[in-house]
Amino acid sequence: MPKVEVPLEKWSGKVREVTLGGSGGRKGLTVGGEATLPFLSFEGAMPHPPSVAIEVSDTPASEWAAPLRQAWGDALEDPGAWAKKAAELGADLIVLRLNSAHPEQGNTGPEQAKAAAEKVLAAVNLPVVVLGPEVPEKDNEVLMAVSDLAAGQRIGLGYCMEKNYRTIAASCIANNHVALAKTPIDLNLAKQLNILISDVGLSADSIIMDPTTGALGYGLEYTYSVMERLRLAALVGDKMTAMPMFCTVGEESWRQKESKFAEGVPPTWGQHDRRSLVWEQITALALINAGADIVVLRHPKTVDAVKAAIRKLAG
Amino acid sequence: MSSQKPLHQVVFAPEGRTVRVPHDTLLVDAAAQAGLFIDIPCGGQGRCGRCQVKVEEGLTTHGESPYLSRQQMAEGWVLSCVCRVASDLKVTVPPKRERERAVTTASRKAAAPPLDWPVSPGIHRFSVELSPPSLEDPTTDLERLTVALTRRGGFSSLEVPLPIVQQLPVTLRRGDWRVNAVVEQGPTPERARLLALHPGHEPCPLWGLAVDIGTTNVVAFLVDLESGKILGQASSLNRQVARGEDVISRIIYSLKGDGLAVLQRLVMETITSLIAELTAPRPADSAHIHSVVVAANTTMSHLFLGITPRHIREEPYVPVTNRYPVVRAGELGLPLNPNAAIYTIPSIAAYVGGDITSGALTSGIYKTPALTLFMDVGTNGEIVLGNADWLMTDACSAGPAFEGAGIRCGMRAIPGAIEDITISSKTLEPTIRTIGDEPPQGICGSGMISALSEMLITGVISRSGRLNVDSMGQRMGERSRVRRGDHGPEYVFVWAQDSGTGKDISFSEVDIDNLIRAKGAIYAGIEVMLKSAGITHDMIEQVLIGGAFGQHINIEDAIQIGLLPDLPWERFKYLGNTSLSGAYNVLLSREARAKAEEVAGKMTYLELIADNSFMNEFTAALFLPHTEIDKFPSVKVLLEQGSQ
Repeated sequence: MPKVEVPLEKWSGKVREVTLGGSGGRKGLTVGGEATLPFLSFEGAMPHPPSVAIEVSDTPASEWAAPLRQAWGDALEDPGAWAKKAAELGADLIVLRLNSAHPEQGNTGPEQAKAAAEKVLAAVNLPVVVLGPEVPEKDNEVLMAVSDLAAGQRIGLGYCMEKNYRTIAASCIANNHVALAKTPIDLNLAKQLNILISDVGLSADSIIMDPTTGALGYGLEYTYSVMERLRLAALVGDKMTAMPMFCTVGEESWRQKESKFAEGVPPTWGQHDRRSLVWEQITALALINAGADIVVLRHPKTVDAVKAAIRKLAG
Repeated sequence: MSSQKPLHQVVFAPEGRTVRVPHDTLLVDAAAQAGLFIDIPCGGQGRCGRCQVKVEEGLTTHGESPYLSRQQMAEGWVLSCVCRVASDLKVTVPPKRERERAVTTASRKAAAPPLDWPVSPGIHRFSVELSPPSLEDPTTDLERLTVALTRRGGFSSLEVPLPIVQQLPVTLRRGDWRVNAVVEQGPTPERARLLALHPGHEPCPLWGLAVDIGTTNVVAFLVDLESGKILGQASSLNRQVARGEDVISRIIYSLKGDGLAVLQRLVMETITSLIAELTAPRPADSAHIHSVVVAANTTMSHLFLGITPRHIREEPYVPVTNRYPVVRAGELGLPLNPNAAIYTIPSIAAYVGGDITSGALTSGIYKTPALTLFMDVGTNGEIVLGNADWLMTDACSAGPAFEGAGIRCGMRAIPGAIEDITISSKTLEPTIRTIGDEPPQGICGSGMISALSEMLITGVISRSGRLNVDSMGQRMGERSRVRRGDHGPEYVFVWAQDSGTGKDISFSEVDIDNLIRAKGAIYAGIEVMLKSAGITHDMIEQVLIGGAFGQHINIEDAIQIGLLPDLPWERFKYLGNTSLSGAYNVLLSREARAKAEEVAGKMTYLELIADNSFMNEFTAALFLPHTEIDKFPSVKVLLEQGSQ
């Protein structure tokens, strides 16, 4: 057999490694570090395979679809119990969403935010990311409280957006946390925000970017393309696009009618509980192949399926 | 080892004060030691050029500066805030007024545009004396005149409009068979047309009008067609602005009911008011204007002539015409000699109009061997790339920000407009200069560029244009210029009691966003054009700039905000209103007119709407100076210095 040389791409850059946790008694998780496109191990190193996060809400998530509510059962009532169950089901990290702080969903303040975060931090020793309701003023208010509470535990705080990045970034510097920077599906905007956060003085090793997830049928290919371009830019040496990427897959796929509704949809769509899982899984797998370093999931079965797929892909 | 530096003696003229200072002392500090306090509005960073002094003898350390021409540097002029003593020195400190003037003359272009062709407007005045008719010579009045004029001008034919024929018996007899005739040559040299006939041989002026119809501003020159001299200049807001700020909203308005007629009437009214302003101080009236040349973008040209611009806005963006018929003033109802020909300079495409043809003519890009980037920045930004061998053009919508519209305190570049701002990096206090040194009324395009650049370099705004209210507010204390105002966060340039309007003059984040969008669109237009032509920045040998910035544009500021590519300063040249200059040339020279038509035909148009890379380039440019800081190495250095 003649020997065939596999053509290899030579990349000059690599993705930054960012560690969540690893201090203050919390288990460490390092993401990023890729020196090639996802899973091309013959070409370059992928030291940390993509991680799977499970999303926990500080509210009982009464609006969630039936398959999700059935899967989590009583755990929905308490973020601590929920996080504990998530850890048992194999989550690499927990993402706590402070939904109740949203002005239209309770408008709770820093005290409630701290209480929810405290429960999750006490229940698991996994790394934790806390996300505000994505209302800039409100995010500043509740995330500052959580940041101080978890000082030194190197949690993730999100989101830093173009309008409010200063406060959160400054707090990440003060308390040694990681900032999650979110921009609306655009390479330039993502890079600009990373620059702005760096200009405030937060080290680039403490930034994870969320390029905004579009679910299957709702802009998935758009997100895929922007993530791919961000990753290619990082690999050719652009330091300000070289942050690991974080995708809220569960939230986006379970928001769509295909996942949400069992009734009132065409019969050809098939069984609801199967369809909704497929929706979340396909979105997750596609984005892992686009370069996602953390996918945030909702359904335990998706967690299993995605983890199995990652094991196979990482060989 | 001794840390003691050698001392040098510095003598300051004209007072003759002398000090001894250590090697490497800043000249401005040495002067202060001698009791001479030189203002350094920029806080001593060599960024404002206001602290010039002249070194008569001795050695200093001083690099290149955009505020000093080669000649000034050769003469010994330095910026005292960055120049250090390196030997014994003799230094002249000019009085404050003179220092100010030094800045002005170094950066300002001459007001009168150059005339690149010999004066030959194709309009002639002939004073002729006819023999009166008699029974022996019963030739008709008209034939008598025609024979005399064709013989005199060497024409084979002469067309005479009916109204002149109707008045002919009176005119001839009132002047006792002596008349002044104004004759237009063309369309071929041997053919001619009579434009006006005045009884007698009293001197009468021969005027022309060059008009630049901008989307936002209309500017006109009244020109003596015999000498080529500009008798007056007037400018005014285009009255169409009330019906929409940019070309797209004008097009939409033109489609409603009698919208087209309304817009045409409004531009006629604007031009009529300019004519009135130009002729009011003169003994003769506007009937002596015998020729008009109009330069305008494609939509403005269409509206001026009452042609629908509808299809300029609809894919595939085709104007009705790029070449416009010559019309007579009487047809458009302009208060001129009704027979005056109105020539509209040809357009190139839907969004590259006669103003750019005119600008290309002025810039000389069509005849230079050097690879040239010519840009005209107004409500639309148009870009021409090329040289004598090839020309390529594109256009992007910048919005009216640089012309002073769409910005709360924005204004046209007229007396009272802030045209230059320096912010001290130490105190964050601004120093402003207004056109005509009048009390500030608002801020014009060049002032905005200068303001944005200063705010960036001093850290008043972030690279995304957000004001850092909290930390800047803390630094500035109780009377902070950075504050939350009625229009959101803002920086106050002029307090109400110092302004000519009695109100604070400030820049809000909304204003800043508009400016960033404007500069981003223009820069993206340049990038897409360069990439399509396979040209890298360093290959550009010269950048010629026209547009409505004001009297001048500070190249350094424009690079710092990412409006212009980061090239060495000496490659840039500001040409002022190139559209009007071109119209002026075409008015005075038939040869220039032929050249304009040739140049318009030669340009290749790049349609940005069809180019999917534009949006990507645009968002990349919506940052200060740009998302890719490595494209702006000189600004990168400045920002790094600033953050240290």
